[in-house]
Amino acid sequence: MENTTAKKASKADPKGKIISGYVEYVLEHGQEPVSIYKFAKELKMKEEDFYSYFTSFEAIKSAVWGKLFDDTIQNLESQEVFKEYSAREKLLGFLFTLVEELKKNRSYLLSLYADHKDLKKLLPKEVKSFKSKFKDFANEIILEGKETEEIASRPVISDKYDEALWLQVWFVFQFWLNDSSPAFEKTDAAIEKSVNLAFDLMGKSALDTFIDFAKFLYQNK
Amino acid sequence: MESKVKEQQSIPVSKVQRAAKFISTGAKVGGNYMKHYAKKVVNPSMTNEQLHTDNATDIYNSLSQLKGSALKVAQMMSMDKNILPRAYQDKFTMAQYSAPPLSYPLVVKTFQKYFGKAPEQMYETFTRSAVNAASIGQVHQATMKGKKLAIKIQYPGVADSVSSDLKLVRPFALRLLNMNEKELDHYMEEVEGKLLEETDYVLEVQRSREISGACSHIEDLTFPNYYEELSSERIITMDWIEGNHIKEWLETNPSQAEKNRIGQALWDFYHHQVHNLKQLHADPHPGNFIIQKDGKLGIIDFGCVKILPEDFYQGYFALIKRDLLINEEELNAIFYGLEFISDKDTEEEKTYFKAVFKEMISLLGKPFHSETFDFADNSYFEQIFKLGDRISNDKMFKKSRQARGSRHGLYINRTYFGLYNLLNQLEANIKTTKPDWLK
Repeated sequence: MENTTAKKASKADPKGKIISGYVEYVLEHGQEPVSIYKFAKELKMKEEDFYSYFTSFEAIKSAVWGKLFDDTIQNLESQEVFKEYSAREKLLGFLFTLVEELKKNRSYLLSLYADHKDLKKLLPKEVKSFKSKFKDFANEIILEGKETEEIASRPVISDKYDEALWLQVWFVFQFWLNDSSPAFEKTDAAIEKSVNLAFDLMGKSALDTFIDFAKFLYQNK
Repeated sequence: MESKVKEQQSIPVSKVQRAAKFISTGAKVGGNYMKHYAKKVVNPSMTNEQLHTDNATDIYNSLSQLKGSALKVAQMMSMDKNILPRAYQDKFTMAQYSAPPLSYPLVVKTFQKYFGKAPEQMYETFTRSAVNAASIGQVHQATMKGKKLAIKIQYPGVADSVSSDLKLVRPFALRLLNMNEKELDHYMEEVEGKLLEETDYVLEVQRSREISGACSHIEDLTFPNYYEELSSERIITMDWIEGNHIKEWLETNPSQAEKNRIGQALWDFYHHQVHNLKQLHADPHPGNFIIQKDGKLGIIDFGCVKILPEDFYQGYFALIKRDLLINEEELNAIFYGLEFISDKDTEEEKTYFKAVFKEMISLLGKPFHSETFDFADNSYFEQIFKLGDRISNDKMFKKSRQARGSRHGLYINRTYFGLYNLLNQLEANIKTTKPDWLK
């Protein structure tokens, strides 16, 4: 009985089965499967069927990240107070919730990413879907921030804000991977401080007034 | 939104400025070292004395520009090297103060971590922004069943950073207090232990309930209720105490009788803790005392509690016995016991330090020597500061190679000094009660 329901579930969602199978494999073996052939066999799947869902391990890893993002957003939106948050608070909320989601998969993430010295080089491929989803989310926040004047519009630079926020997410992830404080409290502090810095930089500051003034002087020389 | 940001910033702003003041002091002290080494290149015979004087002047100038607790540090510093924990603590708390308040998402996260619920689900109302900054956390206001509550939330990572923060302050303190490293380490453990305890909110709730329960019979005092089921390692829920701090209350021009009554309540509170409970609220910071509309004195914040070991207690308080100041042998024994003098001292040092400590004790113990004592008497406090100045400028003290005074004395001295100061502020005339064995 149990078997049939499991099969039904997997038939309905072979993609989900592959993702969770992959995560489980990494958890059990501490490394990626050697080949897609072997992995498909373990899942009792034909290799060619496998390719109709994923064509590489990178694609699976990317899907894991995508799922992390979706879960985070789902969790975030279930918090009632989220809608009332300011832009700054929304980003904070996102990062705190993301860390919670990451925590559920810490062993998996550690075994894949703990030893990589240079994560920047490695990740673009794997986190592609995560990145694009996050950028959509970030742009929404930025737009809202501009409306409430939490974020200043600046020529050229403000188009790069989403990229900057993405780097921040990446910073938080790396910080969290190396965090050994109880309950990852240091990561919480890192999130607070880095988001405050980011928003203080994006907000209207003395520098804007200075540039405005300099421009005025230059034009009226 | 705009107004909310301002509201949050309005709380710590002055503290940030104070922290900045400290930083500028640090920079100046560093500058003095530069000057010192530059001069030394030209004139190698130059001693460290000049440097210390330079430092002391800069630090004192900087501190005397500050009001409140930091000024007290300067005063206490000249009084007794035992003020170390205070200087340390102020530096430490200032470092904390300079941190901006917790964002609301982090507050929510902290609640979810410990209770699995958002604050809105736990209380009927909950302020989104902090209403007050505590030394290592912030305070929000909430209501439940028509009752106003104060919710204290600790900054994340504070407990973890106590040791490293203390290390950061160490070089500063070494220069600030003109101490040698041995002396500093002597007190270090005590301070670190106390600070770590302060980060343990479960312990704080337990102690608050214990001490406030044991002191509930004292007249004119009131304590908030603590709600264990709504508290955790990082969150404390207690009753909101409405009223004025001593300074604000004094501005309402209370009568002398009223001032005496509040002062007496304060004195009785400490008397009971020290002599009967042998553990005490060791943070007589003015912010921890609130005078309510009904005239009762509300006492909060049992984060810093000092437990008195029995032998230390006996030795310390035996010193305030008046006639004892004549009995040489007994006095020697106590001085040894409290580590004021030791066998490492030369005869000359022994005689000198005994004389100084005797003078200090007879002065500090003066309130105990009569039935009542008028703390409004400013000349008494001036006498203390003068003695302190003399001591701190004395070469014998500067040259002394060892720490003087038991480490248990640190927080007791600080507490009594704080208490005397509060009573002075209140201009109260106090019945200075003593336990029977000291009469």
